[in-house]
Amino acid sequence: MADHGDLDQTTRGEWADLEVRELRRDFGEVRAVDGVSFTVPAGSLTGFVGGNGAGKTTTMRMVMGVLSITAGEVLWGGRPITQADRRQLGYMPEERGLYPKQPVLDQLVYLGRLRGMSTGAARSSVLSHLERLGLADRARDHVEKLSLGNQQRVQIIAAVMGRPRGLVLDEPFSGLDPQAVDSMADLLREHTSNGVPVLFSSHQLDLVERLCEHLVVLSRGKVVATGTPDELRSTSVARHRLVLSGDAGWVRDVGGVHAVDVDGSSALLEILVPGAERDLLGEALRRGEVREFSPQRPTLAQIYREVTA
Amino acid sequence: MTTTQPTPPARLPRQQPPAPGRDAHTAPGLDASRSDTPPWLIVATREIVVRATNRAFIISTLLTLALIAGFGAFSLWQSSRTTTYTVAVSAPEGARLVSDAAATARQDDDTVAIEARTVAGEPAARALVEGGDAAAWLHAGGEGWTLTSADEVPLGLRTAVESAVRSAALETNAASAGTSVEALERGTTVAVARFDGEAIDAGFVQVATIAFALLFLMAAMLFGQQIAASVVEEKQSRLVEIIATAIPLRHLLAGKVGGNSVIALGQVVLFAAVGLVAVSFSEWSTLLPALSTAVVWFVLYFIVGFFALACLFAVAGALASRMEDLQSTTAPLTTALMLVYFASFGLSGTAAVIASYVPIASVVSMPARILAGETAWWEPIVSLGIMAAFAAVTVVIGEKIYRRSLLQTRGRLSWREAYTAPE
Repeated sequence: MADHGDLDQTTRGEWADLEVRELRRDFGEVRAVDGVSFTVPAGSLTGFVGGNGAGKTTTMRMVMGVLSITAGEVLWGGRPITQADRRQLGYMPEERGLYPKQPVLDQLVYLGRLRGMSTGAARSSVLSHLERLGLADRARDHVEKLSLGNQQRVQIIAAVMGRPRGLVLDEPFSGLDPQAVDSMADLLREHTSNGVPVLFSSHQLDLVERLCEHLVVLSRGKVVATGTPDELRSTSVARHRLVLSGDAGWVRDVGGVHAVDVDGSSALLEILVPGAERDLLGEALRRGEVREFSPQRPTLAQIYREVTA
Repeated sequence: MTTTQPTPPARLPRQQPPAPGRDAHTAPGLDASRSDTPPWLIVATREIVVRATNRAFIISTLLTLALIAGFGAFSLWQSSRTTTYTVAVSAPEGARLVSDAAATARQDDDTVAIEARTVAGEPAARALVEGGDAAAWLHAGGEGWTLTSADEVPLGLRTAVESAVRSAALETNAASAGTSVEALERGTTVAVARFDGEAIDAGFVQVATIAFALLFLMAAMLFGQQIAASVVEEKQSRLVEIIATAIPLRHLLAGKVGGNSVIALGQVVLFAAVGLVAVSFSEWSTLLPALSTAVVWFVLYFIVGFFALACLFAVAGALASRMEDLQSTTAPLTTALMLVYFASFGLSGTAAVIASYVPIASVVSMPARILAGETAWWEPIVSLGIMAAFAAVTVVIGEKIYRRSLLQTRGRLSWREAYTAPE
């Protein structure tokens, strides 16, 4: 048990870490998820990033127990997760949908009651969430009459109502306008500040970068990177931008430096050997004027491309 | 000085702001916000509410009720209207019998009048009957009398004439046997107690059987398809994934089957009750006790049979991934139901007896046999037991397939694939 922290830490208060270990799923010959391990610490917002078909949805469905696990395990608070634990998690599946012909309020109360809430508690929770997400006046409308964005909000309420002890959300931000993204992010942060571990998938890397304390990058069924955005950046090769007065083509021949892109007088460089930048800069000054030489903070998109390449 | 006293400190705690992030929905205190209602009951309640408030359901129920009530009203109107039957006779004995029959008929039902019209012989009688001026021709034939008509002799007329002929024959026979009519009458009273109208009885059984078969087929098809559709709806929208993480799938199935069974049963009981009232106004009202017994059995069979079918329809829904798949996954069930429907009134003799023990077919066949008075007391009980066993096995196997296929979202599954699929 030493490799995943002591129990006091993982079950802080009534909250627990969500962890997957060596998770695998085969669909016939195809291995969709291949030995995936990561932890969603209690109280953290963890972004689950990966391209289409990377295995995000499959992993989340296995975490929630709606897809059987070929091998590996899901842990809750350091022990194998049970159906009773899952009952206390909020889940938002990949494909959206609710009962199209039932009023918003009625079906959210129904879903709340299925999770063990009393009718009164479910009702007040639904109403306060509707109010908060700007849907208070739509409570009596049939779901099919709502716009897709509003249906998405209703779906989010279904996941977060009733004090879930953990949240697993598949693409919760897709289809939301920037304002809705913000109120949704606030809502999620409120849950994490209460100690709830939140795992959400997204392809919107800028959004993930802005929101998450923790990241898991999945590619072709495997975890290719995990950590905080800063940790991920530190693993990335440092890049510099060089702008000269003359043509920059010669930088291709400098040892210990890889020219990622050269365009006229500017170049994007990776310093492969520490100290190589000194030689580079010396040579540049010898040849003429240096207008800019600056380290580039890699974007998550760039890291993502690197780690999934 | 009392006026300088500070604000009582008792008010202070109320002014404290709530803990951050803990609004109404996240407030602790599980007692009032939690509920112990079993999940299947929550599901069943929703099913009932959704079905009962569905406009199409309400309209179709009302229409069917109107149809049944309309039959009752028609029967009532029919029976309150004085019907006069003209009987052609070609002999004075015939005319006397007809006037006896008229007296009997009036005694039974004061809306029936019978009058005799003397004709010369068969050709004249035939012309009169075929021309619609007489209902039948009463003439001596063989040992007794024959009532010849163009197509069918009206029930009231036939009963009355039969009774009159019998009385007259009795009188003659009694006299020739040197005994009194009273001595013989007890034996004949039974024969005249309308249980001898075998042809009519069989027709009535036939009509009632078709009614049972229609009721069952309608309910099974309508509710069966709705159950299957509601399962696919949840599956297609992935709502089932949310539900599956909240409650065991067994509860979802139980709630669906239970809720729909309750509402289907409610509808059938309503139809049956209105139907019985309608029959009480019809010419078959004397058969009401026998019919009521059969209806009670029908309802019992319906409960058990519908439960098994509802479960199978839920499985058929779980096998599909989209609404478009439903037609093919429910095909085995609809075919079986159609077979049951046609078998229920197409079979006779031994085949009908066998059908009354075959689960699902027995829902219609056994009450029909009970109505016809063909069954020993233990037969319905054994047959119902067989069906209950069938339903139990169906529910167990169905639940297994349902669970295995409900979360499979990759296309349509066959029944066999779903049964052998890993969980």
